[in-house]
Amino acid sequence: MLALDSLSKHFGGVRAVDGISLTLKEGEIFGLIGPNGSGKSTTINLITGLYTPTTGTVRLDGRDLTAMAQHERTAMGVARTFQNIRLFGNLTVAENLWVAQNGHEQRRAHFLGRWFRAGGEHSPEIGELLKFSRLHSKRDVQASALSFGEMRRLEMARALASRPRVLLLDEPAAGASREDGQILAERIRETRDRGVTVLLIEHMMELVMGISDRVAVLNFGRKIAEGSPAEVQANADVRAAYLGSKHKDEELIHA
Amino acid sequence: MDYFLIIDFVQSLLDGLLFGTTYALIGIGFTLIFGVMRKLNLAYGAAALAGTYIGVAATFAFDAPPPVVFLLSALGSGAIGIVVYYCCFRFTPTHYPMASLLASVGMLLFIDEVVIHASHGMPLPYPSVFREATIELGDIWVRGDLLFVFFICVVAMAVLFWLLYRTPLGLATRAVSQQPRAAALCGIDPTRVNLLTFGLAGILGGIAGAMTAAAVGVLSPIIAMGLTVKGLIAVVIGGLGSIPGAIIGGLLVGAAENVFLMLRGVTERDIYVMLLLFLFLTLRPGGLFGSTAGRD
Repeated sequence: MLALDSLSKHFGGVRAVDGISLTLKEGEIFGLIGPNGSGKSTTINLITGLYTPTTGTVRLDGRDLTAMAQHERTAMGVARTFQNIRLFGNLTVAENLWVAQNGHEQRRAHFLGRWFRAGGEHSPEIGELLKFSRLHSKRDVQASALSFGEMRRLEMARALASRPRVLLLDEPAAGASREDGQILAERIRETRDRGVTVLLIEHMMELVMGISDRVAVLNFGRKIAEGSPAEVQANADVRAAYLGSKHKDEELIHA
Repeated sequence: MDYFLIIDFVQSLLDGLLFGTTYALIGIGFTLIFGVMRKLNLAYGAAALAGTYIGVAATFAFDAPPPVVFLLSALGSGAIGIVVYYCCFRFTPTHYPMASLLASVGMLLFIDEVVIHASHGMPLPYPSVFREATIELGDIWVRGDLLFVFFICVVAMAVLFWLLYRTPLGLATRAVSQQPRAAALCGIDPTRVNLLTFGLAGILGGIAGAMTAAAVGVLSPIIAMGLTVKGLIAVVIGGLGSIPGAIIGGLLVGAAENVFLMLRGVTERDIYVMLLLFLFLTLRPGGLFGSTAGRD
């Protein structure tokens, strides 16, 4: 469904992303891994429109998103979370979700309903998302007052509130404990089971290898391997890419 | 202290606080635009005044009654706000803050010239209401026209608060001003929100312009300078980006200018108001309600 075709992004002479082609299948969890600076986040930024690609295209179900603005891509069904969380800190938890849900509903409502219909933060859908992300007791708390883990959960719930077809998660487990990682894995699986395709960028190998249907590995902006978690872990190029950091290599083997 | 001096002081303070609501509205306008775009629109005061002239044009065209003049002033200013957005902000590159700032300075002078040309530089009569009415509280007189100004400005603020905190439009505005990127990824078109904010701020400015002219009973091109400068001082005192700050700042500026007017006379008045500005910029540059939290 989501297809990247020879996507490149150059910053001056640096080829942050250098001709990556990937195709996500409907309803799968796709892991994207690679050493620091290998181009994972840049790839997500290209998919969501934060960056314009130097060359290449991004397609969703055959429709070319490459020239679309960010909010138009959201309308097409692309949602994301950020590695460094970007919530609306001065809005409440429920309002954060309302923003995204409203962004979705606006596309159907007439002008007055779109801008002046009050009370949207109490919709059943938002209540359900709050339950899903275990934030129900915090619905009227300002987002900036949440704990780090709660912020991550809220950001993911907000991404889901825009009813995406594909969800891009940029290191959702960063700073999380192993137990939190397991809960997160469960939540990602549930998300997939609701029919959302997931692209997962993550350093926690246990998480990626445990839940991904397929994994691609980036190094220096290029894709060096793609396949099932087992195939990727056995790949010699992948081992070489991670060899620079012994710790990472061990993670890869033991995962 | 002399009893009459105290009465004079309280009287000036009261008049100033009532009239200060117009500065508060202008301050809110600056703050709203700065909030969503992180840019100063220096043409804002001039655009507000030009809108007020549209209202007064209606009195010549069809002898419009005061409420219609006020309404047309507000809507005219909103329309000019949108024109300013397209001319100075929509297409100027985001990464050169100076581009839109200087464009808005150019627009300020441009609007000023157009207004002077259209009005032949002569002051025009502007409808004033409750001019003769006063409420006497002992030796303090509450002027009816100032009370009307105060009432209209407070109603405008109440409507604004309802829009900002109760409706999807306000939600989108607040989202964009906190995290424009995340807002875009929530499906909000930042350009649309910017446009609506300029229109909304323009309407507030038009109300402020109309009420300023109504309080004096005269519309003159020099009001633009007062609106711009006093509005900016209001936001500097209150903290750029904070709406409560703009309100408090506006009231303070109104009160200060009237008290200095009483103590030092009309020619010295603004000198002290300016000194107040420097005092705040030096001692509390973020303003009373200024947030230190940045955004990217």
